[in-house]
Amino acid sequence: MLVQNFPFFSIVLAMFSGILSSVLNGKQARNVSLGVIGSTIIMSAAVFFWCLGNGESYTYMMGHFPAPWGNEIRAGVLEGLTALLFSVIMLLSVLGGMRHTFEDVEPSKVNLFFIMIDLMLSSLLALIYTNDLFTAYVFVEINTIAGCGLIMIRQKGRSFSAAIRYMIMSQLGSGLFLIGLTLLYDVTGHLLMSPAKETVASIEAAGRYEIPMLVILAVISVGLAIKSGLYPFHSWIPYTYGYATPTASAILSGLVSKGYIFLLMKIFYRVLGQENVIASRMVNVLFLFGLAGMIMGSVHAILEEDTRRMIAYSSVAQIGYIYMGIGLGTESGMVAAVFHMFTHSATKALLFISAVGLYEVSGEKKDFRSLRGAGYRNRLAGVGFTVGALSMVGFPMLSGFISKLLFATSALQSPHKMMLTLIGLAVSTVLNAIYFLRLVITLYGRAEQVAVKGKQRCSFVFGGAIVCFILLNLFLGLMSQPVVRAITEGLEMFD
Amino acid sequence: MKGNMILLLPVVLPVLMGAIALGGKGFRGNRPLLLGVVFTGLAGGLLSTLLAVTGEAKLRLWQLTESVEIGFQLDGVGRFFAVLTVVVWFLAGLYSVTYMTHEEDESRFFGFYLIVLGVLIGLDFSGNLITFYVFYEMMTLTSLPLVLHERSKEAVSAGLKYLFYSVAGAFLALFGIFFFTAVLGDLTFVPGGVAEAASFRGKEGVLLTAVFCMVVGFGAKAGMFPLHGWLPTAHPVAPAPASAVLSGVITKSGVLALIRVVFFIVGPEQIRGTWVQQAWIFLSLLTVFMGSMLAYKEPVMKKRLAYSTVSQVSYILFGLSLLEPTAFVGALSHVVFHSLVKNALFLTAGAVIFQTGWRKVEQMRGLGRVMPVTLGCYTAASLSLVGIPPASGFISKWYLAQGALSSGCGAWTWIGPVILLTSALLTAGYLLPLTINGFFPGGDFDGRELEERKLLGKEPSWQMLLPVLLLSAGAVIFGCFPGPLLRMLSEIAETVL
Repeated sequence: MLVQNFPFFSIVLAMFSGILSSVLNGKQARNVSLGVIGSTIIMSAAVFFWCLGNGESYTYMMGHFPAPWGNEIRAGVLEGLTALLFSVIMLLSVLGGMRHTFEDVEPSKVNLFFIMIDLMLSSLLALIYTNDLFTAYVFVEINTIAGCGLIMIRQKGRSFSAAIRYMIMSQLGSGLFLIGLTLLYDVTGHLLMSPAKETVASIEAAGRYEIPMLVILAVISVGLAIKSGLYPFHSWIPYTYGYATPTASAILSGLVSKGYIFLLMKIFYRVLGQENVIASRMVNVLFLFGLAGMIMGSVHAILEEDTRRMIAYSSVAQIGYIYMGIGLGTESGMVAAVFHMFTHSATKALLFISAVGLYEVSGEKKDFRSLRGAGYRNRLAGVGFTVGALSMVGFPMLSGFISKLLFATSALQSPHKMMLTLIGLAVSTVLNAIYFLRLVITLYGRAEQVAVKGKQRCSFVFGGAIVCFILLNLFLGLMSQPVVRAITEGLEMFD
Repeated sequence: MKGNMILLLPVVLPVLMGAIALGGKGFRGNRPLLLGVVFTGLAGGLLSTLLAVTGEAKLRLWQLTESVEIGFQLDGVGRFFAVLTVVVWFLAGLYSVTYMTHEEDESRFFGFYLIVLGVLIGLDFSGNLITFYVFYEMMTLTSLPLVLHERSKEAVSAGLKYLFYSVAGAFLALFGIFFFTAVLGDLTFVPGGVAEAASFRGKEGVLLTAVFCMVVGFGAKAGMFPLHGWLPTAHPVAPAPASAVLSGVITKSGVLALIRVVFFIVGPEQIRGTWVQQAWIFLSLLTVFMGSMLAYKEPVMKKRLAYSTVSQVSYILFGLSLLEPTAFVGALSHVVFHSLVKNALFLTAGAVIFQTGWRKVEQMRGLGRVMPVTLGCYTAASLSLVGIPPASGFISKWYLAQGALSSGCGAWTWIGPVILLTSALLTAGYLLPLTINGFFPGGDFDGRELEERKLLGKEPSWQMLLPVLLLSAGAVIFGCFPGPLLRMLSEIAETVL
């Protein structure tokens, strides 16, 4: 089937368009990027619906070396859905931050920016589709480099130090991940996921290599946790998200961290075996870190004055939610975690992009108080920000509420963690409400002195991006049922 | 979407008109057009609600998740609250026509005023707990701009306080909703409760905790201790018609929430005689007494009325907490009476501010010479809140006391009525001095200041006077002829208890 080639096509297309863009100018590179992301959306949708229709996943052999040696891609319902949502969010983020991209980046380097976007897309897709641990590692590195480039390309003020911070923390994470892979290769002799899983199962059954397996699990989990910014490894988040150009912030916070989480889930299910992971109690560690992140991220956000850093700290809290869901160690907890991954991607990107629109009309100051009355000066951005904030707080009808509902109902199925989860959810929700609603009220407050006279008309593209984001949020909030069913089905296909 | 679409009309129409009032820039300087939109919304809401409540109807909108659906259904309690809401809303809306001339941003006020009406009707028609919760949260958010209206520092901090208490309360209640979703699955409202003792076997402790969380959480909206702190701050800063409906109607949505949870989901049998019931009775009585005491000591008129709301709404909660039919009837009739009275009182306070600028009670000496009719209405409303027969407060308090005495709740059977009586005395103490000083300022009162400011005989315009007159007349007349209302409420009580 032609459709079965699409995952491979989309990865390679994104990669080669990066190479092509290096000889183009900024505008052409932009058009290439947009075209690639657009075609990725279509191809991911095709893959998703094909898998959903056929009710099965498939592996795709690359080159002509059959397993257990070659290099494989695997696509199922969950992979297709994630790729689809990620590329949609990527497109909207690129469109929403377009004007700033051309303002923040030196004209001669705009094409470099879009090369980074292409590489980012290709590496994210590869992380989603890969069935091979070493390929995963390679694309983790590509992803890191593209991320650094996206942060640094602003070439202003603190973006260098932010990029260096990101680089160091990310390298620490990938280093740990690599050690984990090496050990795993030592123990199993495989790099492809499926044969590795069989070997792991036989090792576990024989009761051998108990300590190395635990080390592997711990090292891989911690490595990917650092890269996705789980508390207490979050120190790079506020810098990178706070000082990059808006598109980069939206992509880094909305998508990149989720790519690693997706990889971690895939390794849990497809290599180490979810039941082994639960038996090893590693999930409890993730659960506690997640809970701590939920609370501490919000506390930091409350103490923060700079709007974008506030949104960045809120990501720490939301990543905490996702890890808490994984840490519940149940099927429904995992579904909730994946759903929250989507929720957070869509919402956080919306927040970053609409925050930009509000900044533009308030004199580009960092302090959140300077945004007073900005909701009147740029109405659409104000509405977008309000919807995003309400969704993060967990207002019914928006996607955040559904994730909280899913978390809470799945918590009720694991008796030991029930109270902790519910209390964590309640406390963090109230904390979320404190800083997000404070921001929203500021937006509609009475401006003491209007920073920028008159209203700036927001561009058509920006407006369209915001409206699409809002619709995406409403879709996840109102029609969550098919999404949840697809996630459940996709997780079942992982085994 | 399946069912009778007429239920959607009273929800959507006001919201739509509100959105038009909010969005239209052309209204600036074109007041008649704005008022036209507003009254289309109000009158449309009124008529369609009256039309909707006459029939039996059910409406399923869509599935939110597999077990959760969003839908409406009509029952006695819903009809009762919806009609009350929409009538009071219409009268306070009429009052706003004049009152809002001295405030800014009229179109924003009227826009959100209408939207809240639609949301409240949705709340009353909700067919299950999740739908109810959705509208409950919307109500908090859409009523927030009414509190924030002046956008002064004081208003913003009051708005934040309102928001945090409401959100904290709602999420406390959400814990209970999560629990019931997991245990019961289907949360459609059924008179007498859907829960059966069997489904909670082994989870009694969690069940009671969840119910308690919901009592405290939803109690926040009704101003029940310990989450009452926002009410005396938030209600007075809003423009007078908004304070009136916030105090008179929106606090009742907390009451409705508790009715729905206790009598339609959990079932009164599950909590009868448990610590939750004891705690609920205790908290409501504490609030009754505390609210009255605080009102007695408060010098600012609107704040005094807000503290009085804290106290009076807890009368209703006390009646519910007894889980006894007579007390239930008393509680629901107090919902009506308090709504009418508190709206009349707040609108009077607003009229005084509008005509004279006086805010403190001590400034209002000689008010009887300025606006005798208004003060007369105030007096009638006050007397019925105190509970002097034949005005309406007497009826509800009679039923509450009767219910308490026959409830068999241990010592509460006599402590309850004692506190109710003490609080009634305090009510007279904080409401009537205005009447006395207003009509009989005393021999040493110097009327020259009133003459200089040309205040003598300066009644407010008919749009302001008429609602006050109707509301206070309603409060008295319902007391004289309570029969039909009480019969209807007894029927409701029979189905749930």
